[in-house]
Amino acid sequence: MSRFFALLLTSLLSASVIAADKQADLTVYTYDSFVSEWGPGPKLEQAFEARCQCNLEFIAAEDGVSILNRLRIEKSKNKADVILGIDDALIEETRATGLIAPHQQDLSGLKAELKWTDSDFAPFDYGYFAFVYDSSKISQPVSSLDQLVKSDASVLYQDPRTSTPGQGLMMWMKAVYGDQSEQAWQQLASHTVTVTKGWWEAYSMFLQGSADYVLSYSTSPAYHIVAEGKQQYKAALFSEGHVAQIEVAAVTRTSDNPALARDFLHFLTSSEAQTIIPVTNWMLPVTDNVELPQAFDQLIAPKRIGFSNQEVASQRKKWLREWRNAAAR
Amino acid sequence: MLIAGYAALLLSSLITLLAFAGLIGFSDAAVDWALLSDRYFHSVLLFSLKQAALSTLLSLLLAWPLARALYYLPELPARRSFLSLCLLGFVMPTLVLITGLVALLGRNGYLTPLLGDNWNLYGLNGILIAHIYLNLPYAVRVLLQQLQHIPDRSWVLARQLKLSPWQRLRLVEWPVLKPSLLLLSGFIFVLCFNSFAVVLALGGGPGATTLEVAIYQALKYDFNMAEALTLAWTQLLIAGGLFLLLNRAGSSRWLTADSMVRGNTPPTAVWMRQIHRAIYLIAWGCLLLPVLALLPALFQADLLRFDWMALLAPTLTSLSLALAAALAAMVLAYLMLFPIRHSHRQRKARRRLLLEWLSTHALVAPAMVISVGLYIFLLQRIDLDRWGIAFVALLNMAVIIPFAIQQLKPRLLQYDAQYQQLSQSLKLSRLQQLRIEWPFIRAAFTATFALILLLALGDVAIISIFGGDDWQTLPLLIYSYAGSYRITEASIASLLLLLICAALVGLLERVKQDA
Repeated sequence: MSRFFALLLTSLLSASVIAADKQADLTVYTYDSFVSEWGPGPKLEQAFEARCQCNLEFIAAEDGVSILNRLRIEKSKNKADVILGIDDALIEETRATGLIAPHQQDLSGLKAELKWTDSDFAPFDYGYFAFVYDSSKISQPVSSLDQLVKSDASVLYQDPRTSTPGQGLMMWMKAVYGDQSEQAWQQLASHTVTVTKGWWEAYSMFLQGSADYVLSYSTSPAYHIVAEGKQQYKAALFSEGHVAQIEVAAVTRTSDNPALARDFLHFLTSSEAQTIIPVTNWMLPVTDNVELPQAFDQLIAPKRIGFSNQEVASQRKKWLREWRNAAAR
Repeated sequence: MLIAGYAALLLSSLITLLAFAGLIGFSDAAVDWALLSDRYFHSVLLFSLKQAALSTLLSLLLAWPLARALYYLPELPARRSFLSLCLLGFVMPTLVLITGLVALLGRNGYLTPLLGDNWNLYGLNGILIAHIYLNLPYAVRVLLQQLQHIPDRSWVLARQLKLSPWQRLRLVEWPVLKPSLLLLSGFIFVLCFNSFAVVLALGGGPGATTLEVAIYQALKYDFNMAEALTLAWTQLLIAGGLFLLLNRAGSSRWLTADSMVRGNTPPTAVWMRQIHRAIYLIAWGCLLLPVLALLPALFQADLLRFDWMALLAPTLTSLSLALAAALAAMVLAYLMLFPIRHSHRQRKARRRLLLEWLSTHALVAPAMVISVGLYIFLLQRIDLDRWGIAFVALLNMAVIIPFAIQQLKPRLLQYDAQYQQLSQSLKLSRLQQLRIEWPFIRAAFTATFALILLLALGDVAIISIFGGDDWQTLPLLIYSYAGSYRITEASIASLLLLLICAALVGLLERVKQDA
């Protein structure tokens, strides 16, 4: 018996060695779900390799923050030519590693609402944080964050200490309430069902009927329409505006192949890549005139509010503490 | 063999040491003393202790009558399946359990209408229910095992002395249970103290925060090694200290020699038998319901169109990884027990305690710190994208060793008490000794193997840090489905994982029976 298992293990290990032996021309650090079978990774890889006649390899970390942490640990010994999938809130921390080179991309093709000027990080998709509800159960959704906070509707959201949507809500509350956010958090806590570790725990609880509203993205309804043919899930449009999450890519200073790395960044905003990303990563394209399924036309188009990346980086700790104290009950 | 045992202990300690070295060496992080006077830190610590203590107390209080029911009524229908279900309950992946509990007791749960208007799953309620669900079945198995080791002679004596039921409980049952109760409570307490996903999902807000959550935040979002280390030391000190204390108290009275043959069950009054049956029936319901609550999700899915092949490779990877980790852990645990048994025989209490603590220290060390610390240490030295998978197996092994030790130790010490002197005076060779030992420990051995195999099968934390995208395991696939809106697929994969666990339990129980 045990000999069989030993054999199995050896074969598995040797398979991994063979798999890794293929030399990659371009190594991209990204997060798990980006390279999953149904994520954008496989299709992007195929499209880019056809263009460049090169070999692209994705190395996946657990999530966006883990990409940054891996860079912090490896420092200049990292293997990445490109990092892809940290969000705008982490830009300053990532820049502080000193490992990022300017992207040298022409930003004029990007959507105006992004107001993008960063010379190190280039966006490839974005979305607005939004509260999603089931329109077959709620006919009159709330129309502002303030209404939601003051209502008695049950709410699910994610922990800002462990998830990016949670951090998004934290900025959102701060942008809307400023100094009064402590009271607002307390009020929200009185009708919060629970705060989960990650996005999917909250979202699947919501789909099971555990709450009226769940914190997610403005693009979530598109998934239900395109992949499941379900029309009832909608994102509530808030009059104060919404906080955006912009996912970015960057070239590393340590790259052996910076020209190819920049080509890849350029490719990410090409119409080919921009058509793939929204229906696999369920976010919005960063360029105009991308052909998308009709479901995307039905999505809300919020006004954008929020803070600069520098402000977020310097205030995060304080805001977290405020949330922690106010939302504990 | 002693030397091999010490080497095994060294290896497992080395993993932990390197992990801490990784954290300390990375940024020359010192301990963050200021944190110790922080109000938030106090509330986190207090809550961790409170929920763990309550979970332990309730699990044991509820497990006790159930174990007695199983002991006194060996003819109960489907008793063997129930014990298998118990094992399944203990190793149930938390994400599956949370989904099941929400479907059952959440706001729209099937049972919620029965619970009155004030019912709220989220908060301490939910945490306790989940922790009891995870730990009670384990406690039942351990307590039952202990009860079954009551020698027949004790019962004969009890009959001859005409002991009342209360006296039997106090004089016959309690002495057998007491040492294992202390160990068990320490064990469950530590598991709950280190709990993470359950607490976050069902806790209801930041009021319900455990040290493990705080460590996660410090390591991941703040990348603050000093804070993480301070928290980790605190956790190690409290959980480790408590574990040491209970180990000392608990192992002071080990079971005396028993006969392998279980004769007749002590008779009980008719009304008592009815109560036992009722308890048994209720327990079946409670253990099955969260699993059954997952089934309706299946009917929503288009099972014919579901890509079953996508599950094949991850299932195989999961199985081989878990097998490798479990086999290695069994060998190492068995080896580690040599020095422990030796010091036990030599009556060197202090050395024994130290060795026992070392062998099970991976249980009390914060898992997050071990895996992240080792990751930091190795990433700077080894090509983890290539070798990561080997470390997944290694770390999984390190994590399940304490469970193997905990399960094997009592039986081996019992063996020593009974046969060691004899086999020594007969000057038996190592192999001959093993041959005599085997029939004695076989049952405990297979049960232990099943347990740790299942534990390794459910791992997500380690593989998500070390495994590259070439290595998809079933639990990882469930997360990755759920993380991209595919909740139905996630439920299907979850049920498959449960089914595999159930099949393995069934298989190993059969092996045990045949042997």
